[in-house]
Amino acid sequence: MRSRKSHELLSAGHRLSRHLRAVALCSVAVLAATKPAAAADEIVIGASIPLSGPLAGFGSFQKWGYSRAVDEVNKSGGIAIDGKKLLVRLVLRDDKTDPNATAANTETLLSRDKAVALLGSCTPALVNAGALVAERKKVPLVTACNPLEAFKSVRKWTYVWDLFFDEPELAAIPFKALRDLKLETNKKVAIFHDNGPDGQVVGGALWPNMARDAGYEVVENTSFPVDNTQFTSIVAEAKAKGADIVLVDAITPQAVSLRKQIASAGYAPKLLVIEKGAEPVQFAEALGKLADGVVVGGYWDPSFPYPGAKDLAAAFEGETKLTSSQHIADSYAAAQILLDAIASAGSLGPDTINAAIARTDKNYVVGPIKFDENHTAKLPLVMLQWQAGKTPIVWPQERANGKVLFPLP
Amino acid sequence: MVGLDVILNALISGVLLGGMLALTALGLSIILGVMRLVNLAHGEFLVAGAYAGLFLLQWTGIDPLLGLGLIGIALALIGYPIYRFLLAPLAGKGPEASMMTMFGLSIILQNVFVLLFSADTRAIERGYATVPLDFGPISVPQIYVIGFCISAVLIAAVHVLITRSRFGGDLRASADQPQAAAIIGINVGRVHAITFCLGVACAGIGGTLIGVALSFTPTSGAAYLLTDFALIVLGGLGNVFGTLIGGVVIGMLQSLGGLTLGDGYRDLVALVLFLAVLSLRPQGMLGSRA
Repeated sequence: MRSRKSHELLSAGHRLSRHLRAVALCSVAVLAATKPAAAADEIVIGASIPLSGPLAGFGSFQKWGYSRAVDEVNKSGGIAIDGKKLLVRLVLRDDKTDPNATAANTETLLSRDKAVALLGSCTPALVNAGALVAERKKVPLVTACNPLEAFKSVRKWTYVWDLFFDEPELAAIPFKALRDLKLETNKKVAIFHDNGPDGQVVGGALWPNMARDAGYEVVENTSFPVDNTQFTSIVAEAKAKGADIVLVDAITPQAVSLRKQIASAGYAPKLLVIEKGAEPVQFAEALGKLADGVVVGGYWDPSFPYPGAKDLAAAFEGETKLTSSQHIADSYAAAQILLDAIASAGSLGPDTINAAIARTDKNYVVGPIKFDENHTAKLPLVMLQWQAGKTPIVWPQERANGKVLFPLP
Repeated sequence: MVGLDVILNALISGVLLGGMLALTALGLSIILGVMRLVNLAHGEFLVAGAYAGLFLLQWTGIDPLLGLGLIGIALALIGYPIYRFLLAPLAGKGPEASMMTMFGLSIILQNVFVLLFSADTRAIERGYATVPLDFGPISVPQIYVIGFCISAVLIAAVHVLITRSRFGGDLRASADQPQAAAIIGINVGRVHAITFCLGVACAGIGGTLIGVALSFTPTSGAAYLLTDFALIVLGGLGNVFGTLIGGVVIGMLQSLGGLTLGDGYRDLVALVLFLAVLSLRPQGMLGSRA
């Protein structure tokens, strides 16, 4: 009896053991099948970008720009690594406009997707979150969409490179344009800015100082959380103080709400500048005619005399049937710079690629790019103005392809 | 020093906007009051209403405010299968299961919005939404006045439905004593289904008003959910007119907060008030189900 029980127990143990072995084997097989490690015959580059959340308007352009640069390289046969041509695979992950997700995605791109180099997200909060991971892991990352002062303020970078505009130049545009275009105002300025890193730099520090230096009076300077949607009090105050110039630094949902609330309060400033939020075409689509006259700093336009500028915008508009944005250009250029560096390195070693990025000295679709000692390359700025769904350049005069609409309709 | 006209402008705008938000909170309030369900997907129903208004205008040319009835019906029709297949099977299994179901649904709906409509910022473009109404030195957004009036009328209509109709009697009985109501022959499941659909419809109509007055994205709902919680706690759980009064009070206090601390601190004012009322008078300032 006892031996029969022992036999049953042993049999059960064997059956269990067989089952466990089978489960273990299946698990290994499943893991092997699902692990998207880089194959030996491809180059993986990755990016965590905002495909959802408040900054999704930027992310969609970045996706297009990054993908186009990679597609072009692959159409030409790929990149030669150690004498063998390899195709490039771009892995994009959605950070949902959340810096924590950007950091987590960047870890995943490196550990799971085996990316050999990275491209950046958009805005300082997101880009810097991913850049810090890349820096820690010593993997090169090329980004745009991150104003240079906000980028430089984080740390001295070794593996991260940024091409974008400089905040002091951006902040100076309204005052230079008012002077050069001889636009008459009462010189009273109201500043509304979000409390994000670039909002604090531009709205909290640069604009008030530059306004005073240019002889303007700042009658109101208010900050608000990035996701704020109601602005009735600050608009009423600016209106009561009679500010002819309103300078705003906010992302698109807030920019749209603010523009509507300025109009519905019966407030008609002569000049309305909305940095950041008024850039994507979604701003004009959401507002229709109310977008007309709103001014935003720009670092790219298809009319710029750079190689492929006109074709890039035409390709975007042809493929997507949407109006092009300057964000397609900087993201396309960032990806091209990284791909050129990989090609120049001829190897997938992070330090070799990083050294090749440092040697970049070429004319891209956004103009000549050569990184300085802070790993930044500055893009020259112009003033754009929404007019009937388009953004002609209205300043400086030597680059202008449209006439400024003043005062704000 | 802020002038008196600025203070009055801000206060009146706050009252009007608060009244408009009361409609969005009404749906949350009646679902919570009758079904004891914390509808964490309420913000997404609000956003669905904003999209419905936008596409109604784009596809048919019907002004979203004239089509509010259609939007309400559409949202109610979306609400019914959600109740029937997700919530009804959880009846009697405790509040946690249905609350977590709605939390999951909110995440799913956000992703569905992104998938179907992209993550772009949207607004419903209407001329009347961006003009002021001037009364001497006082100038308030016309859309806030329109939104407040629509909200007040609909809240009154829901009040009449609940207090004067047979369904209202069933609803009140189901909310107070669901088991006793079932014993005397009231179909509590049917009452819950209609209540849920009504709550979703109110959220959707409120969402359309928000879409016309402000802007929205697939993830905008969460912020309104928080304000709505504060509003119904202030007005009293399930108290229909209390919701309107709660909205007015919260709008006014938010405006005062905006004037003294800056517009960025409006939500802080609402949430501090929410916690204070919960601690000191959990039944709400006006009590439950007046």
